[in-house]
Amino acid sequence: MISRSQRVIFWCLVWFCIVILSVPTIIVVGASLTGGNIITFPPDGFSLKWYRQIALARDLQQAFSRSIIVSLICLAVSLPVGTLAGIALTRFRLRFANAIQIYLLLPFTIPLIGSGIGMMLVFGSWHILGNIWPVGVALAVINLPFIIWSVSSSAAALDSDLELAAASCGAGRFETFLHVTLPGVMPGVITGGLLMFVLAMTEFLVSLLLTDARTVTLPVQIYNNIRSIITPDLAAVSSVFVLIALLAVWLLDRLVGLEIFLKSK
Amino acid sequence: MPRDSEDRSFRYPLKWRIMDGLNAALDLLWPRRLGRYTGWALLTPALLLVGILVLGLFQIAENSLHTLDTSTFLPGEEYTLANYRIIAESPTYWRIVWRSLLGAGLTVFFTLLLALPYSYIMVRTNKAALRKTLLIVLFLPFFIGQVVRAYGILIVMGSSGAVNDALGLVGIEPIRLLFNFPAVVFGLVQYMLPFAVLMLAPALTAIPRETETAASSLGANWVKVFRHVILPMAKPGLVGAALVVGTLSLTDFAMPAMLGGGSQDFIANAIYDQFFRTADQGLGSALALLLVALGSVIAGVVIAFFGAGTLGMRGRK
Repeated sequence: MISRSQRVIFWCLVWFCIVILSVPTIIVVGASLTGGNIITFPPDGFSLKWYRQIALARDLQQAFSRSIIVSLICLAVSLPVGTLAGIALTRFRLRFANAIQIYLLLPFTIPLIGSGIGMMLVFGSWHILGNIWPVGVALAVINLPFIIWSVSSSAAALDSDLELAAASCGAGRFETFLHVTLPGVMPGVITGGLLMFVLAMTEFLVSLLLTDARTVTLPVQIYNNIRSIITPDLAAVSSVFVLIALLAVWLLDRLVGLEIFLKSK
Repeated sequence: MPRDSEDRSFRYPLKWRIMDGLNAALDLLWPRRLGRYTGWALLTPALLLVGILVLGLFQIAENSLHTLDTSTFLPGEEYTLANYRIIAESPTYWRIVWRSLLGAGLTVFFTLLLALPYSYIMVRTNKAALRKTLLIVLFLPFFIGQVVRAYGILIVMGSSGAVNDALGLVGIEPIRLLFNFPAVVFGLVQYMLPFAVLMLAPALTAIPRETETAASSLGANWVKVFRHVILPMAKPGLVGAALVVGTLSLTDFAMPAMLGGGSQDFIANAIYDQFFRTADQGLGSALALLLVALGSVIAGVVIAFFGAGTLGMRGRK
């Protein structure tokens, strides 16, 4: 079917993609296992000493726990807000629905540097800059379309007769929501929550703008350390992110299947 | 009579009573006659949350109208367009804008060039394992985050990195691969590739395989099939991907900062420097507002030319 020349050209390009996407990751993980004091490839002997080193490094530890806190706050804000908005957009007929959709896509259409600077100024005028929780709220804002999108696609698949059936069986509005609507959109909520958490863990630019030396998160800490010197302990920290990403991909595949992203609307 | 006492002590299960209480509370707080506004009520938290961004834009606009008073290092009181005049008259900023636009354009071209065959093979293959592998290769970097990815590129392309080692094997002297314009574009292409593929793949899935078979049975070779069948039919996906890749790379900060080594600033880096190095908030705000406007104009022009269908492709639908 596919002609020879097409196959050769396409596979060359695909292999090039695979190499540029994967090789840096593989080398970072490899470099973190080096026994030497500088990054070389192939690694200079095998050792876990850099992992021991980062486990003892106070600044990295604190940055890591701050990242976790920020991601949990982002989750706590975006899960209810995004779930309700996703349900509202699909289950209710709203006037100006198109305008609302465009408005709710603003976090994607406004450049991140603009959103970050804007929130920095707003939070500054509210005198809440310098805390950790505004960073979590900010990350919830900039990634909100992800969870709204994932909840609405679940909600659209839910038969609205089920809610009417529950109501006719005597369920109140709250019970209908809790026992019918919410379980129906749960796959979307879980997928969206996973996306929000991991994207908040790895977010860089907005965190850079909203944090200072006392509230720095892990990606920003890595960035600051790279600027001064490249050492294998950073590779070890980066490997933690690779591990998180592996876990996220595995979970996403188990929960919804990666193939869902290939489906046309 | 034990039976009687049981009757008297009979109560509904706790869960039911809680539910009834919650329902009653809901009826009190949000009576049924407000039913037609329920959708709006559910939407309000999201509208407020995004409202922070709108508020931020207003604040940026406000700041951009005040110049920095060099005697007090505070923004001046009076409203003026001086910041915009400074930008318009400064060759440095024109160079940065031009560099950002060129970088974004090149990134769109190379990213689509790579993303098209990648998504085509991924969508068309019959092997489930191959499809899964290609998807994992794509999603892993997406979740690793930009800083760590840029760090990986720094290690691989450094003067003693794997690429220079490989070049050394074939007898080429180590060359400086980093801290120049091509390195930034390469980093951006690597960063954008997953976005582009994830936006193109659904568009390619929507093209029935039979149309290709029909075209080739009528004598078209694969280049012709691609030019006259695949590309026109995948146009909404291609335009959507180009728009997202273009605006994201035009406004990127991390790749120019980390792979450009300070000499390849994009607009976002210039904005950051104004805020955190020069502490000229007014000038930085003016630049930020211009960047937002530039992004919106590009998106608006693309949508006006190719229809609003491309907007529906946003948000990785």
